[in-house]
Amino acid sequence: MIIEPRLVITMAVICLVGIGIYGLLITRNLIKVIVALQILVKGAILALVLAAELQGQIQLGQSMALTLIVADTIVAVVGLALGLQVRRRVGSLDLRDLSKLKG
Amino acid sequence: MLEVVVAGGMIFCAVLAIRSSHLLQSAIWLAGSSAFTAILLYLMGAPQIAVIELSVGAGLVTVLFVFAINITGEDASTVLPSIPRPVAWAAVVLAIAAFAWMVLPGQQPALTEAGPAVFTSVLWKDRAVDMVLQVALIFAGVLGILTLLGGHEDTGEVAGGAHDH
Amino acid sequence: MPALLTLCTILVPWLGAVAIWMLGDKRQKTVGPVAVTFSVLAALAALCLYPFATAGVVVSIPMGDAFGSLSFRPDGLAALLTVIATVIGSLAVIFSLDYMKGEHQLPRYYSFILLFIGAMAGLVLSSSLLYLFFFWEITALSSYALISFNNDDPKAVRGGIKALIMTQVGGAGLLAGALALFSATGSFEIDQVLANPVAIPAGLLAFAAFGFLVAAAAKSAQFPFQTWLPDAMEAPTPISALIHAATMVNAGVYLLARFYPAFAEVPGWKTAVIAVGVITAFSAALMAIVAGDIKRVLAYSTVSQLGYMVYAIGLGAVEAAQFHLLSHAIFKALLFLSAGAVIHSVGTRDIFRMGGLGKRMPFTRLAFVIGSLALAGIPVLNGFWSKELILEAGMETGPAWGYILMLAGAGLTALYTLRVTWLVFYGKPREDLHVHPAGKAMKTALLPLVIGSIFSWLLVAFVTRVSANTMPYHHMEAMDITTLVQEVIMNPGTLIALAVILAGAGTWLVSQRVRFFEKSLGWAVHSIQASFGMESINDAITRLAGFAGEKLRITQTGLISWNLLYVVIALILACIYLAVGA
Repeated sequence: MIIEPRLVITMAVICLVGIGIYGLLITRNLIKVIVALQILVKGAILALVLAAELQGQIQLGQSMALTLIVADTIVAVVGLALGLQVRRRVGSLDLRDLSKLKG
Repeated sequence: MLEVVVAGGMIFCAVLAIRSSHLLQSAIWLAGSSAFTAILLYLMGAPQIAVIELSVGAGLVTVLFVFAINITGEDASTVLPSIPRPVAWAAVVLAIAAFAWMVLPGQQPALTEAGPAVFTSVLWKDRAVDMVLQVALIFAGVLGILTLLGGHEDTGEVAGGAHDH
Repeated sequence: MPALLTLCTILVPWLGAVAIWMLGDKRQKTVGPVAVTFSVLAALAALCLYPFATAGVVVSIPMGDAFGSLSFRPDGLAALLTVIATVIGSLAVIFSLDYMKGEHQLPRYYSFILLFIGAMAGLVLSSSLLYLFFFWEITALSSYALISFNNDDPKAVRGGIKALIMTQVGGAGLLAGALALFSATGSFEIDQVLANPVAIPAGLLAFAAFGFLVAAAAKSAQFPFQTWLPDAMEAPTPISALIHAATMVNAGVYLLARFYPAFAEVPGWKTAVIAVGVITAFSAALMAIVAGDIKRVLAYSTVSQLGYMVYAIGLGAVEAAQFHLLSHAIFKALLFLSAGAVIHSVGTRDIFRMGGLGKRMPFTRLAFVIGSLALAGIPVLNGFWSKELILEAGMETGPAWGYILMLAGAGLTALYTLRVTWLVFYGKPREDLHVHPAGKAMKTALLPLVIGSIFSWLLVAFVTRVSANTMPYHHMEAMDITTLVQEVIMNPGTLIALAVILAGAGTWLVSQRVRFFEKSLGWAVHSIQASFGMESINDAITRLAGFAGEKLRITQTGLISWNLLYVVIALILACIYLAVGA
């Protein structure tokens, strides 16, 4: 049986996205939410590069993936900083406590 | 064959990153997953982005995570999720099914195989606007860090002051 | 120049709103003068804009392919309404200096008034249906916020919510109609619809026409949505004068007048508009006769007079409607503001507790009497000319039943106007109320309106000429004063109308007892006071909306996990759509 690398990567992308979504939905910790988001975006980066490779335009895919990494990193940074502030003001990282608007 | 091993490692790390109940372990597993992703990217013929993913995804982001978790403390949550697990699973399965349906052979548009090789300068030539936007984005990120992390003394005081009155 | 002035009328009040908001609660003393400055500047800009009225778009800001462009067209009708909104708005703000003295949270009050003034100008000036809808909703929002200004009073909150929900019903009609027109023409430009209504499929055009009728009826408090306006009287009185008498409630009339050329040929539409106008004008006049709250009397009379305008549009007499709109805005603002002076002075709104106030507040009495005479349609005040024009149009072109009911309505108008004036200012004081005359700012605001109520009809030549020149699709005719005078005086209808008005007034003089109508009408009073059952229907709609809101609340947990689940579901749906659609 010949394993086609692209098929493997496609499956990996789908798995990563699935894990990311599951993590996003199931966790109640703000920092874990950001971890799950990172995993989801890794799937997206792989998918971009894969699509570019299939199209034969790997450089274009690389440049797009670069944009994605930058945006993703900044999402992580701002998310973590928000988490810190939440922790400071609310006293926990639990999303359930975040829904209480009254200070 | 190598792809299977790397992809397997990546998914294994990702699963553990989600499942681990300690935030620090979670962050480390995420870094591992990121490293495997970088190898996979290299194998796919995208070395530049692989290097960036390795340095940013596995390096910088992990450092940030560790830094943040150090400040917030572990706060490991073993509490039950807000959404019932079956619902979450159903959403995941549906999402995967939808993606799989889209990439199934025959469902995708005809691909133009292996076009002429493009220079790396595509980054600067074709996507100059994007680069400018990225610079702006990075600037926003830096500002975000400065205001949110650096200003905690002041905000703490303000919050405390508000309580006093 | 027109472009700059157009933008000024919208942006100056909004800048003022932001400025006042920034000033905040700590500087309560300064917000009043700041609000006056900005609103007067806007009024000056609008007055300067009026001579520059043009049929063409003067400002156009592209907003992307899907949304058309945000463009403004100050033609005769739009510029006139802008002038009304900003001038009466600035007078209401000046009046508020005295009226709201000592109240808390004044920045909220003034910034919402200024937000409203800018939005109202934007509503009428906008030449795109989409942005008209946006401004329409902003006016509804600020109206709600100002009705509920005293937000610790449950009645005020309920009135505000009711007004919001009922005008949202209208907003839905407007949006549905606009989308129907968009699907037919592929653009939101109003002029495109007016230029070539034949190109639109008849079904869609009829849908839009009746959708807009619903929108206009809800916004202008016409049958069957009329009951929100009396409940909106919980607002501070300057708000009632500005929003619920002179400007926002005219938006529905404006919409009908604007689209009259496009919808005139839709079968049944004109009859429906006439019917709505007649039913509203007559039934609201009846309700005004038995109401015991001075502001509710005025509110019912507003509903009734708006009914006259809607009736005139149904007849095709758009210029008469426009003329009456101008007159009504002036004299009704005058009536409300002088009623506000009375309420502020005696501290009650119950007319049965007042009486004999005229001696102690002579200037207010003068203002109120002039406003009343104009409302009743007594010559030579402005209300007389415009009402006569409408009644003449009704006699010449309208159905007989409509004309007779409108004529009776004019008599009833004279009756209830005289009743409220008498009960408040004449006779013997029924209770010992502490009275003090109106303040300086109040008088400053009332004086221009007194002058306007007496002389504004002299502007008819100017106003109709501007409208005739700048509104190519409406085929209006310029009318100078001699024609107006001749037409009104020579017409036998005028004599009939005057006779009916005098009869109505005479009815009161004969039966000068305080609670005469409440007693003599007997059983009918209850049904009239309940707005002939319309009250319960409107309440049911309000309750339904509240109920649906409560039930839908469980979907908004505020928990990020659930919100993420909705995101994922949307993603799945998008994937399925792409997979199936491609």
